[in-house]
Amino acid sequence: MMRAFEYVRATDTARAVEMVTADPNTSYLAGGTTQLDLMKDGVLAPERLVDITHLPLRGVTGGRGALRVGALTTMEELAADTTVVERIPFVRDALLLGASTQLRNMATIAGNLLQRTRCRYFRDPAVAACNKRERGSGCAAMTGTARMHAILGTSPHCIALHASDVAVPLVALDAILRVQGRDGARGVPLTRFYLTPGDTPDVENLLRHGELITAVEIPLPALGTRSGYLKVRDRVSYEFALTSAAAALLIEDGIIVEARVGLGGVGTVPWRAREAEEILIGAPATMEVFRQSAERALEGARTISGTAFKVELAKRTLVRILRTVSGVVA
Amino acid sequence: MTSAMNEPRPAGVLIGQGLDRLDGPLKVTGAAPYPSDFDLPGMAYASLVRSTIASGRISRIDRGPAEAAPGVLAVVTHENAPKLGRGPKTILGAAPPPPLRDDRILHHGQFVAVVVAETAEQAAEAARLVQPEYDAADPVLDLADPRAKVRDDPWHVDMRRGNLDAGLAAADVTFQATYTTPENTNNPLGLFATVAAWEGDTLTVHDSTQWPYNTRGALARSFGVPERGVRVLAPFVGGGFGSGLRAWPHVILAALAARIIERPVKLVLTRPQMFTAVGHRPNTVQNVRLGATRDGRLLAIEHTSDSPVAMEDDNLEPITLGTSTAYACPNLITRDRQIRLNVPCPGSMRAPGEAQGNFALESALDELSYDLGMDPVRLRLVNESTVHPQTGLPWSSRAMRECYLQGAERFGWSLRSPEPRSMRDGDWLVGYGMAGASFLHYQAKCQARASIDRDGTAYVRSAGTDIGTGTYTVMTQLAAETLGLRTDRVRLGLGDTDLPMAPQAGGSGLTGALGGAVHAACVRLVHDFLRLVRNDPESPLRGCDLEDITLHDGRIQRTDDPTRGETYAGILARHGLEELTADGDSSPPRGDMIALVGSMVTSRLGRFGRAAVRATRAVAPAGACGAKFVEVRVDPDLGLLRVTRIVSVIDGGRILNEKTARSQITGAVVGGIGMAMFEETITDAGTGRIANATFGDYLIAVNADIPEMDVHFVGEPDPANPIGTKGVGEIGLVGIAPAIANAVYHATGRRVRSLPITIDRLL
Repeated sequence: MMRAFEYVRATDTARAVEMVTADPNTSYLAGGTTQLDLMKDGVLAPERLVDITHLPLRGVTGGRGALRVGALTTMEELAADTTVVERIPFVRDALLLGASTQLRNMATIAGNLLQRTRCRYFRDPAVAACNKRERGSGCAAMTGTARMHAILGTSPHCIALHASDVAVPLVALDAILRVQGRDGARGVPLTRFYLTPGDTPDVENLLRHGELITAVEIPLPALGTRSGYLKVRDRVSYEFALTSAAAALLIEDGIIVEARVGLGGVGTVPWRAREAEEILIGAPATMEVFRQSAERALEGARTISGTAFKVELAKRTLVRILRTVSGVVA
Repeated sequence: MTSAMNEPRPAGVLIGQGLDRLDGPLKVTGAAPYPSDFDLPGMAYASLVRSTIASGRISRIDRGPAEAAPGVLAVVTHENAPKLGRGPKTILGAAPPPPLRDDRILHHGQFVAVVVAETAEQAAEAARLVQPEYDAADPVLDLADPRAKVRDDPWHVDMRRGNLDAGLAAADVTFQATYTTPENTNNPLGLFATVAAWEGDTLTVHDSTQWPYNTRGALARSFGVPERGVRVLAPFVGGGFGSGLRAWPHVILAALAARIIERPVKLVLTRPQMFTAVGHRPNTVQNVRLGATRDGRLLAIEHTSDSPVAMEDDNLEPITLGTSTAYACPNLITRDRQIRLNVPCPGSMRAPGEAQGNFALESALDELSYDLGMDPVRLRLVNESTVHPQTGLPWSSRAMRECYLQGAERFGWSLRSPEPRSMRDGDWLVGYGMAGASFLHYQAKCQARASIDRDGTAYVRSAGTDIGTGTYTVMTQLAAETLGLRTDRVRLGLGDTDLPMAPQAGGSGLTGALGGAVHAACVRLVHDFLRLVRNDPESPLRGCDLEDITLHDGRIQRTDDPTRGETYAGILARHGLEELTADGDSSPPRGDMIALVGSMVTSRLGRFGRAAVRATRAVAPAGACGAKFVEVRVDPDLGLLRVTRIVSVIDGGRILNEKTARSQITGAVVGGIGMAMFEETITDAGTGRIANATFGDYLIAVNADIPEMDVHFVGEPDPANPIGTKGVGEIGLVGIAPAIANAVYHATGRRVRSLPITIDRLL
């Protein structure tokens, strides 16, 4: 159930940007798979939605050094792209593990990257204390026992998890967002795009009101790079990750020469594990090295009672995917 | 109800046949009218406001903002609501307290206002504008809270036999452990809905209920109107799993809203409201003590349980009672305590009490089997009782041994290596586990009516409901068989209080009760046809009694000469009758009106009383029983648990329809997997708010979690029931959770005594 709102279908990108920029109570609408839920739950109440699904921002191009993915490309379309399948299969894995077929056919790649947290306290306006909904109101999640919260990048004001799967390999790949504003376009590295909560959990990323993501550029790793994504959860499907790990490794003569590592299910933002990469690069591909890198990756973890187990689970998840990708026998 | 897509079947061999569900085509085409599908002229919509504290008082509740919102017709709170009566007591206990009776808050999510508007969206939006202010008190939320009121032996079914201490002292091996089960929420797919319309003091309600007669009684008492003026319809219900067994406050509030605005009103609960308003399986803390001889004979069982109930509400849910009749053991104590908390009231959820109690008992037996170095199947066989252990009466029927033996055979139990952590497949540890399961016999009085009209078709009806279990189909089969008609010549009417009285679709009792009544009505109807022609010189059936005739495709014929006979239609035409109608009823087996109460009574008879009961050569009506065998795989590094095979062997007495019965078992196995591995309703410790009241956060099993499920039926028609059934709605769930936990132990060497068995408990 939701409040009545105005619906406008945009046919022109500049005009859409203009409409949303001009009015703080206007929002974009793409696949709507998160947004409509939040409106029904009373978390969001825009007065006007500008439907951008008919804008020419759909499809995957390029293929040598980088892919350019139109913002409205669906999760299903990106997962089926042959370059994705061949060069960055962990992006495909994350997409397929990230949502059901129905959702993958509706949800867009930019919408996925902008999805809001699944935090139970954020999503229920009957809970007064949520700094993300209303800065300064407190955080009800801190005293709860739920498992679905972040342990990395948290602050005393917010432990809400960023639950995207595909964002995890994309931060590992240094993807770049192309953003269109009223006053021009800019590129923002995905690793800088998301903001950890600090004392402003309501500010989640660098996007200014009215700015529109038009494309996601994904640099392709060197030929010979192997990658994988592991998602750990109780149910086999239809569940957000308790922990997940994305890894891309280039191994020559048993030595890791290139390593890209992302973690999901643990961060207030999709987590790039640079410390883990530092351990891995130049080291032999062995279980000891993998374990060492996992220890480093989780060094800054902060937990509540319900999330304490995630520290060890995240380490094991990373070790397992590194083992799988490298082919090292345990 | 008939269905064009289901091949008509001739009578003669109908009982047991796996007919497709007659209501299947209606459901998959969207044509089956569920309660929320009813739209009436001039209908308005209601939305409910819930408290955001768990205990205290409403200090201020301003109706103004909501009343001023677009489309709003009424805002009703405790300040302007009429005083409502409380519904009648049932076997489940007192009715829920009337809604909006005062300013007190007894649980988080309690309904504090109903908002009625022209559209559902307007009602929901205006409901957000009702924001009561509270004087909050510190809620009592924990079973261990010393402030909580404790009800000892709340249902007077605590059991005792022999001398527990002596049994434990004589035992070679003793074992003791504590087990906990969490709150689970029923979560039928169909959101509960009520559509209410008044005309003067007569009320018509479409409602998601498993028990229309109970809802009718509750509505009549709530509003002080005659029962005969209240009609409750529930021809289709989108599932219940027990949550539709009571007339919950939202039903009363929908009718109240309609009475106030003098227009029909529709109310559909939201999914989060389904977590606080229609019951749930209560959590438990249980302690089990066992004593056994070296060769595995149980000498002592003590099973105690604490579980919660709402502050001023009621719930019949003995957790430990089933233990008293599970095994032959001379010395036993079972004891239940109910603790009053500031929580939404628990209620029946598929296999109430037994689901939780059996988890503790069957886990403990598994642990004992390792202490004894004895195969878990053998341990159970050694202790299987040929008589009802509490009364000493022989079971009416109980094929438990076959369940164990055939289950072990079908599963390949002999391939199990007894040592924990001894079976492996790559990264995965493999474990085999099993459990026994019983469900108490339950049956209540029921009535049905059967007619045959001039075109030779039958109409059979009763107020009982088909909540998705197959009642339409199996009762059509039974009526067609009894009347000698093709299935497409029988129409069935269900879920309507204008039809003869029927008990709840619950306690695995409806099939037996309704089947008995339908059978009786159909037999009487044939008898009435014969009476009509007894002295009819034109009838070839003149002078015939039931034992002289057979029925064939709408025709009654003499068994000694099948060429001599005539059709139902022919008899009616010659006698100038439009139709003939007969009533039938069924009652629980005598001397054991309700097994639960029966056990209670016999437990208080004392030694001589029990001997007297035995002397009557009575039998103890047995409910369904079964054995469950499970294979799991565990990735110990990541804590991943997968169930890869499940075998269920069930004694359900006579199976009326092999397919719908099988579906009852497989559906319940899915529920058992959920209970074992996923389902846990989480309440925030400080506030009493349920923290995971959505399908995204409350995990139920999905298709990918469900393995191959083998279901096999054994046993004989049960003589305690006129049609020989035992009811299979619940037995399929019982035993799944302990069988999985036992398999997890076998796989990993790790004993999980708290459900659900999630990743964090296996790391």
